[in-house]
Amino acid sequence: MIRVKNLNFGYGSSEELVLRHVNLHINSGDIALICGPTGSGKSSLLKCFNGLVPHFTGGTMSGEVLVNGKAIQGRQPRQLAETIGYVNQQPEGSFVGDTVEDELVYGMEQLGFTRSKMQGQLDWVCRRFDLGPLLERNLNQLSGGQQQKVAIAAALAAGQRVLLLDEPTSALSPDAAQEVLAILRDLAKNDGITVAIVEHRIERVLDLVDTVITVHGDGSVTQGSKQTQFTDYRYAPPLVELSQKLNWPAIATSLEAALPHWDSSKVTITERLPEVSEKTPDVALRVENLTAGYGNGDVIKNANFALNHSSVTALMGPNGSGKTTLLSALLGTLKLKFGTISTIDGNPVHMKPERRLRLITAVPQQASDLLFLNTVSKELAESDKFGGLANGTTARILESLTGRIDPQRHPRDLSAGQQLSLTLAIQLANGAKILLLDEPTRGLDYQAKHRLAKQIIRLRNEGHCLLVSSHDVEFVAQIADRVLEINQGQIKATSSTETALGPNSPHPTQLASLSQSNNLLSVGQVWPA
Amino acid sequence: MPLPKAENFHPTTWWILGLLLALTASMSTDPMLMVSICLINVTLLLVFRGESNWAQSLNFYLALAAIVIVTRVVFRVIFNFSDPSAPAVLQLPAIELNLGFGMKSSLLGRVSAQAFFSALTDGFRLAAIILSVASANTLANPRKLLKATPGALYEVATAVVIAINLAPQLIASLLRVRQARQLRGRSKGLSSLASIVTPALEDTIDSSLALAASMDTRGFGRKGQVSSTTIAISRTATALALLAAVLGIFFLLSGSGNWLAALAFLITIGATSISLRATSKQGLRSRFRVIKFQGKDLAVISFGIATLALSMALGA
Repeated sequence: MIRVKNLNFGYGSSEELVLRHVNLHINSGDIALICGPTGSGKSSLLKCFNGLVPHFTGGTMSGEVLVNGKAIQGRQPRQLAETIGYVNQQPEGSFVGDTVEDELVYGMEQLGFTRSKMQGQLDWVCRRFDLGPLLERNLNQLSGGQQQKVAIAAALAAGQRVLLLDEPTSALSPDAAQEVLAILRDLAKNDGITVAIVEHRIERVLDLVDTVITVHGDGSVTQGSKQTQFTDYRYAPPLVELSQKLNWPAIATSLEAALPHWDSSKVTITERLPEVSEKTPDVALRVENLTAGYGNGDVIKNANFALNHSSVTALMGPNGSGKTTLLSALLGTLKLKFGTISTIDGNPVHMKPERRLRLITAVPQQASDLLFLNTVSKELAESDKFGGLANGTTARILESLTGRIDPQRHPRDLSAGQQLSLTLAIQLANGAKILLLDEPTRGLDYQAKHRLAKQIIRLRNEGHCLLVSSHDVEFVAQIADRVLEINQGQIKATSSTETALGPNSPHPTQLASLSQSNNLLSVGQVWPA
Repeated sequence: MPLPKAENFHPTTWWILGLLLALTASMSTDPMLMVSICLINVTLLLVFRGESNWAQSLNFYLALAAIVIVTRVVFRVIFNFSDPSAPAVLQLPAIELNLGFGMKSSLLGRVSAQAFFSALTDGFRLAAIILSVASANTLANPRKLLKATPGALYEVATAVVIAINLAPQLIASLLRVRQARQLRGRSKGLSSLASIVTPALEDTIDSSLALAASMDTRGFGRKGQVSSTTIAISRTATALALLAAVLGIFFLLSGSGNWLAALAFLITIGATSISLRATSKQGLRSRFRVIKFQGKDLAVISFGIATLALSMALGA
């Protein structure tokens, strides 16, 4: 269905090619996974399939891309609209209509379908995606999972045979992601639609993909089966990492395939998190009867919990359950309606910002929002000056977190992981011991996630108290002592990570499902005996 | 029986009504009529507005109208130059100004009832016009208005609608970046403007590009086959319309024959509609829901015409 022959692509300004000598073939009705490190050019490759590269992004492209046997060179994305559907990373930002129905018919209207044909296609997508009850709803009243479903439905409503998806599940909770992925499987297997997915959370999709395309970051691109494509453990999902670690004869890509190998493997199991040497079990932050929200609505209802020093707590819950709002309330950026927050040094809500920064600090979902100067060194110097710190203090924190970053680089050119580390260093420079992180793993590859997990554990061992909101169960298993579950603004339960992500929980990690053991969650715990 | 919401009407209905009410207000001198038009608009908004985002702006427009009225009256009280023989409503201490040139003038001082009421009337007239346009803008969903535009103007109209929708997006990202800055403990003052605007603009441009890409990949801007005769007709009609418009303006301003001006403008309108029709054939676009004028739309428009006619009859 999609054939790529000797494709080269690069931006005019840089001599380095983003994609070099790419040859690919995706069969009709297959699901292809496009993976690789952050910033390697995965999205660019995807956009080559429907003309967004180079018509929209600029740059020069050579070679041949054939979709359904026809070369697409020189054709604008709009001229390919009836063949190829495309869904961007953030569907909510790409909506054109007001209501679900508007959005679903938009593409067909542009292509000049007759009304009766539109009605027929509309009925088909409503059945396929179970959208009938939502047709009249306003798009901004939908949940994240529903929005993603509508975006995919709208991309296929005009009968497109190829579907291109850029990180379709990265912002979704495990349940919402499962639902979207089940639909994709159906579309490929029953309707014969060819799907290409760019995804960082490989463990979620690996089970349903037929072929894996790896974009290595140096311009080279390889294609192969799930068993052969993950040679680099740094970018491999948990089961593949486990297969390599334990030297299994074949790489396991699904739980069923892994089970026999696991049962015959002799392994040593280590503790999930290191012991904290300095025992500081005292409470760092206590929240009592906290109610907060915007306008008349309460987003957080009567929350009660306490966080200790030298501990990492994960905040987990579905999309829109109030995670970000809770973090804002703790930081004092959102006014509390009721309740108290207390620390050893008093209530942070009533403090002056400078003093509060020495007590509690945060990195928001989009870490780059905090960076506003044009080189890394200026950012670091500004941070020292603002906090009245000795020259180089922030730079030292950054180095201890992630190693040296070229000080002359523009912060916006750094990788997502480096931006996160830089922001983290700046935020920690003032000496705060309580640190809040909002969805820090969005857009990070496995290696960057491992690095971040190391940084978090190091801070924990130094006595920091961390609260990390995340959907990523595998990441949470690497860092968290405890899990705080939130649903519709209610703190449901505080439990140990072993209970929250164990084999009997609704969202077990892959290793928990595999081992059925209550104290084995993460590949990092397993070693060959 | 519950009244239908604004969405169920033709989107241009609200603009026609709004413009008729604004016209009525601007032509009349009766303060009671202006107050009634203000009240009519507020009632319209309260009765017909829906739940959508764009319909939550009543408070803003009311505040704007109030500011306009107060400003008008306050200015009149400060700079009143009132007729000394007219009865006074307010006796304020006068500030004599002698600037050394021109005539002597004074600020404040005696405010006559006539001056006060004429200022109030002016204020309410402006408020009535503002509220009329505001109610049209609030009740007519811009995206639906887009669907009702002729094919030839579709691309332009889309650009306008995206621009309208981008403003709230820019505000949202400005707020987000400002909040993020607060996380770094930095000031909210003017000095921080550049550091807030840069990431927010970047964000907004990114999201508008994403929207444009999404529209393009779904076929926006596709053109069908058009015959060369159609293109010729459309070009000739456009040229004719421009020429007639220029002549019409000339006749109107030179005062040489109003009927000539009227004729020229009629030709302009005719030629424009021919040109629009011809160009619209280029678009492939079809519509799933064709929005038609219905009885209720005609009822709303007749109400506007009746208001205008009544006020003209009373005025004469």
